[in-house]
Amino acid sequence: MFMVKRKIKLSEILLNGSVILSTMLSVVALGLIFFYVIKEGTTLLNWDLFTGNYHARNYIAELKETSTQTFEMPDFSNIENVFTVDRFGIALQEDVDLAGNGVVRVYYVHPDSPFNQMLSKEVGSEETDLNVGMIFQRISYVDHPSSLSRGGAQKFASELNDPQREVFEIFFSDLGGGIRGSIITTIYLIFMTLIIAVPFGVLTAIYFNEFAPSNWITKTMRNFIETLTGVPSIIYGLLGITVFVPLTVRFTPAVNSNLIAGALTLSVIILPTIIRTTEESLRVVPDDHRAASLALGANKTQTTFKVVLPQATPGILTATFLGIGRVIGESAALIFVLGAAVKDTVNIYEPSTSLAVHIWSMMTDEPANIALSSTIALLILAIVLVINVSVKLSVKLLSKKGI
Amino acid sequence: MMDKVIDTQDLSLHYGEFNALMNISLPIYRNKVTALIGPSGCGKSTFLRCLNRMNDLIDNVKVDGIIRFNGQPVQGAGVDVIELRKKVGMVFQKPNPFPMSIFDNVAYGPRQQGIKNKEILKGIVEKALKQAALYNEVKDRLTESATRLSGGQQQRLCIARALAMEPEVLLMDEPTSALDPMATQRIEELIEELKKDYTIVIVTHSMQQAARISDNTAFFLLGEIVEFGLTSEIFANPRDKRTEDYITGRFG
Repeated sequence: MFMVKRKIKLSEILLNGSVILSTMLSVVALGLIFFYVIKEGTTLLNWDLFTGNYHARNYIAELKETSTQTFEMPDFSNIENVFTVDRFGIALQEDVDLAGNGVVRVYYVHPDSPFNQMLSKEVGSEETDLNVGMIFQRISYVDHPSSLSRGGAQKFASELNDPQREVFEIFFSDLGGGIRGSIITTIYLIFMTLIIAVPFGVLTAIYFNEFAPSNWITKTMRNFIETLTGVPSIIYGLLGITVFVPLTVRFTPAVNSNLIAGALTLSVIILPTIIRTTEESLRVVPDDHRAASLALGANKTQTTFKVVLPQATPGILTATFLGIGRVIGESAALIFVLGAAVKDTVNIYEPSTSLAVHIWSMMTDEPANIALSSTIALLILAIVLVINVSVKLSVKLLSKKGI
Repeated sequence: MMDKVIDTQDLSLHYGEFNALMNISLPIYRNKVTALIGPSGCGKSTFLRCLNRMNDLIDNVKVDGIIRFNGQPVQGAGVDVIELRKKVGMVFQKPNPFPMSIFDNVAYGPRQQGIKNKEILKGIVEKALKQAALYNEVKDRLTESATRLSGGQQQRLCIARALAMEPEVLLMDEPTSALDPMATQRIEELIEELKKDYTIVIVTHSMQQAARISDNTAFFLLGEIVEFGLTSEIFANPRDKRTEDYITGRFG
């Protein structure tokens, strides 16, 4: 009787099929995003990008003395696109900048090279030197036509090696396109936002879970906060520009959108999440512990802060990390409140750009800089990944410690 | 005439519309163990929680009648509940140590009263742990988390935690129902020891436990006291038919 073959219904096949199909489609869609970002983003990935200025600085200089010797140079012959100038002790590389345009990059500078101590032709500065990574823009010669970088590294190298040519003036610049400023802004935003939002959020959660009477007012307020977690951030941006920007302009040296207003707006954005997550973790603290504390003659405040709150630490930690994730990912609200101008030096009273808004800036450029955007996206994804892992790890560690 | 630490007269309690206790008049004698027995839902735990006003934590509870602790009224807005709970300690059904170290658990109560001196705290903790017959087992790991102790040790820690407040009365709400027989036996021995210095009121589901450890027994049924008297008399010679049925295991 156990051998009877069960009939499988058509509806069951359809249901099982759509479960598998949906899963596959979701996984493929998510995988494609990662694949695209990694493929586009890794081309520009290097340390200079994270530490460099966004705005390239230009230099004009002349050599103090012309070269009379030949420099002992390392062998670069097996490296592609690198050309040695042994007359001046430098090596040049054919490269692309962060926007993908061809540039001539300084690959090597000999310690005794005349390029190390040039006379600057700019007002107010006297000496300047050529560093590895800088970009050659133009070289002018005495009695010869000047040469532009679009001629390529090889042309520069052969001209400089020519003993007939006397260098008159060199025009060069930093690489530029770095995202250091945006990284610093993002770090500022994270800290300022958390400093504002976490205490407020945790204390509000304590009120709702420990002190608030269970009546319709509490219920309404709780539902209201729940709704706020789903409000599009552009609406918070509106709040920011109508309330926080004028407030900060009134009370700080700021004159328009600024980092403080950005942090305040982000605090409001992450507040509902922090309240809810903390409340969840307060709710699972056993009532037995509250009762035990009260039965020992502790009052409500002592019970809440000495017994209940410490047990909610993992939840508060999770809330904090979720908040960081939100700060890093937020763009729409910040475009109003913080501005979209990429800055190299960050001042909390001035507009600047977070990493996410930097992407927006790059994509609204003409032409859109997809490569740099993807690299920033990759960085953001990496940070979010690290945050997720650290949440899991720290919660695990805390629960292992028996807290 | 025996000394009454706690005395209740015509105590009634309502949870909203539900009448959980009806006209309870029960004396608790000093340095005696009073057992409260009865089937589930008969009101014995509710009565216990009236004595240190833990019912205040529940919404919609109305208490009528008189409860006196050392002659002073316990009910009413003017009573210092914290002072009362310091004098009337409580041990719960499930061992509920706080997720902190053994030392911090016992020192919790005194610390909340503002005792900060390390030496004084150490003395209090040591004394309480010794009274709870736990000191020898944990003296080398006072800084370890209390949640790592076994169930029986946790319950004795909870007793030590209550003793650290130097109460006069110890309320125990089925303190051994979550423990194995060995741990139960240790707690019972401990209660025997503790009654020299403290007055103990214990709610229990186990007839044998009540018979073994208590001096007086009150039998609760449907919110009323059916019978109260010396344990030896109640178990040997119950006056009421319902008491007899209950203790001989015919219901409950």
